[in-house]
Amino acid sequence: MEYILKEPERQISTKIIKIWRTTNTIGHGSFLLGFGALLAASQFWEWYNWFNITLYILIGITVLSAIFSIWIEPVFIQRTWRYEVDEKFIQLKHGRWNVEHKIIPMAKIEYVTTDQGPFLRKAGLYSLNIGTTASSHKIPAIPEEEALKLRSLIASYANVKEDDSFE
Amino acid sequence: MSNSQEAKRYHPAYLLVELFEFLRNSFFFILFLFIFNFDVTSGWIFWAKLVFLAAAAFTIGKIFLSWWLHTYEVDHASITLREGIFVKKVRTIAFDRVQNKKTSTSFIHNWFKLTSLTLETGTSNEEASVRFPVLKRQEADAIIEIIEKGTAAETPVSESEEEESDGSLPIRPEKSARVEYFRSTKKDILRAAFTSLSFLAIFPILLTLYFQIDEFFSLEDDAENAVLYFADHLWLLTPLFIVAILISSVIGYVITTIRYGNYRIEADRDRIYITRGLGQVHTFSIQRNKVQAIQIEQPLMKRIWGIVEVKLISAEAVSIGDELATNSLYPFMKTKEAYALLGELLPQYTVQDNLTRLPRNTIWLKLLRPYYVTIIAAVALWFFRPSLLWIAAILFVISLVSRLFDYLFTRYALEGDSIQIRTGGFTTTTFITRRERIQEIEVSQSKLQRAFGVRSLGFTNRAKPIHVSSIQDVPDGLGNKFKHWFVQRKVKFE
Repeated sequence: MEYILKEPERQISTKIIKIWRTTNTIGHGSFLLGFGALLAASQFWEWYNWFNITLYILIGITVLSAIFSIWIEPVFIQRTWRYEVDEKFIQLKHGRWNVEHKIIPMAKIEYVTTDQGPFLRKAGLYSLNIGTTASSHKIPAIPEEEALKLRSLIASYANVKEDDSFE
Repeated sequence: MSNSQEAKRYHPAYLLVELFEFLRNSFFFILFLFIFNFDVTSGWIFWAKLVFLAAAAFTIGKIFLSWWLHTYEVDHASITLREGIFVKKVRTIAFDRVQNKKTSTSFIHNWFKLTSLTLETGTSNEEASVRFPVLKRQEADAIIEIIEKGTAAETPVSESEEEESDGSLPIRPEKSARVEYFRSTKKDILRAAFTSLSFLAIFPILLTLYFQIDEFFSLEDDAENAVLYFADHLWLLTPLFIVAILISSVIGYVITTIRYGNYRIEADRDRIYITRGLGQVHTFSIQRNKVQAIQIEQPLMKRIWGIVEVKLISAEAVSIGDELATNSLYPFMKTKEAYALLGELLPQYTVQDNLTRLPRNTIWLKLLRPYYVTIIAAVALWFFRPSLLWIAAILFVISLVSRLFDYLFTRYALEGDSIQIRTGGFTTTTFITRRERIQEIEVSQSKLQRAFGVRSLGFTNRAKPIHVSSIQDVPDGLGNKFKHWFVQRKVKFE
């Protein structure tokens, strides 16, 4: 019997854009603060000049990266994220410039968990973690009800006996 | 040996084996502290001597106490070890958990007709393996026999999911019969010695020796005279050079013989056994149906000589503190011979001949990708050592050649239940696995790849650590075919 793979269609919540913007702002902000502090210390105690140059370069890179990952990236990630779960496979597909499409057999799945940080909780979202012996994968930002349903669905699908034999 | 026995101590040769091990490990300390600096009784060397003596006293004391306090107990189903001097520890290892067994016999072991035995279990933590530093040969054989009997009885029940159905596979020898598939000859050793370039090892050794001696006898002046002398009589260098090469060839041959001599590959129905080494004999065995994939490696040097190294990828094969990767079948085998052997040992992983090359236009794609190493090196050199900027040019040429080679040598085949990919520039790696053995797959495409209508494929196999293989720049069509191929995997529902 031929199995036809369905192109993944399910999307993640749009609320995640705002959350990513917030968390990325915090992350980049703390890096900038750290570099700033080092720069101030360097000026105060007159450390080596190359140290200052390195710091300026790092700050420049951080600012550029911040612009990208706060204003541009979250929208694209959310827009391009697709997943699909059926009784045989989990599919994860995301990325705009760099499209990645992962296919994980249900039979290889060892655990499935739901996570919720403070930002996700405020938005009523969960992220779903799927683990195999080889790796772990994350579907970010699924509405609460859907996430819990998905978790028990995967758990029941994954409880299949694997036929590893060669014919 | 009866099925169960009293808890007992290791053979007293334990002391000798461990003491020798200690001496070998601290050889350079002793050489440096007590031979080169024999009469130094002040400064940091003096303190280092004291610290070393204290450590030595501690270690030797520990060896004696360990021998006194460590016991082991073997019954029909498990081994119980009592260990620890201050903190007592009792470990019980059930035989049916044992995945691999390794024995290693040094010359001290040989004197007393002993061996050392290491049992590996499937888990990945530090408790995963049990090591008997000394064990009577009969005892080791008895333990191995119990384990093998256990797994043989176990196989139909617990491992039926991994067991191959017999239908299409050639008939294999019975469980008990071990068949020899490969035994290294003198020619193999010669080939190994040449390919590993061990005959060049003499030059660094000579250099270090020279500097060591120089420190004590200040050869500098004599050496300068010698250099001047040779500069005047250049023709004298040629015989000297030939002699050096000859000596080092002999040394290389001897080293290779000790390491790879008497190399045997045997197999019975369930397992593959690898035995190697002269003097220090290592054995290693792996379950046939636990082989997840086959990897064939060919560095440039080996490719010129038509030699391959075949590795068996398995989640169970762990090399324990061994200088040689134990999952290797034989590192220096003629390509044809290796493929034939593979066909016999692991018929489910046949090496395909009709492989497909990458589309022609991908050569431009490969050359277009940013040269990160070159760029970083160039920037760093420009900042710190502008006079050495030419190194960046060399790096650029190397990466250029590597990419061209990568384009030329990359091949793939997706047939039946198996996939085979070959990648790499200077060192090519061929990877063969089966659909059922793949944990998950990934198909990706970057913006640049999209312009060329190509993709990258990736797949994961169980191994320690996890083995991720990937092939870049295959046609779009293959990406879809690969996905479709993978999802046709068979799963039995219960």
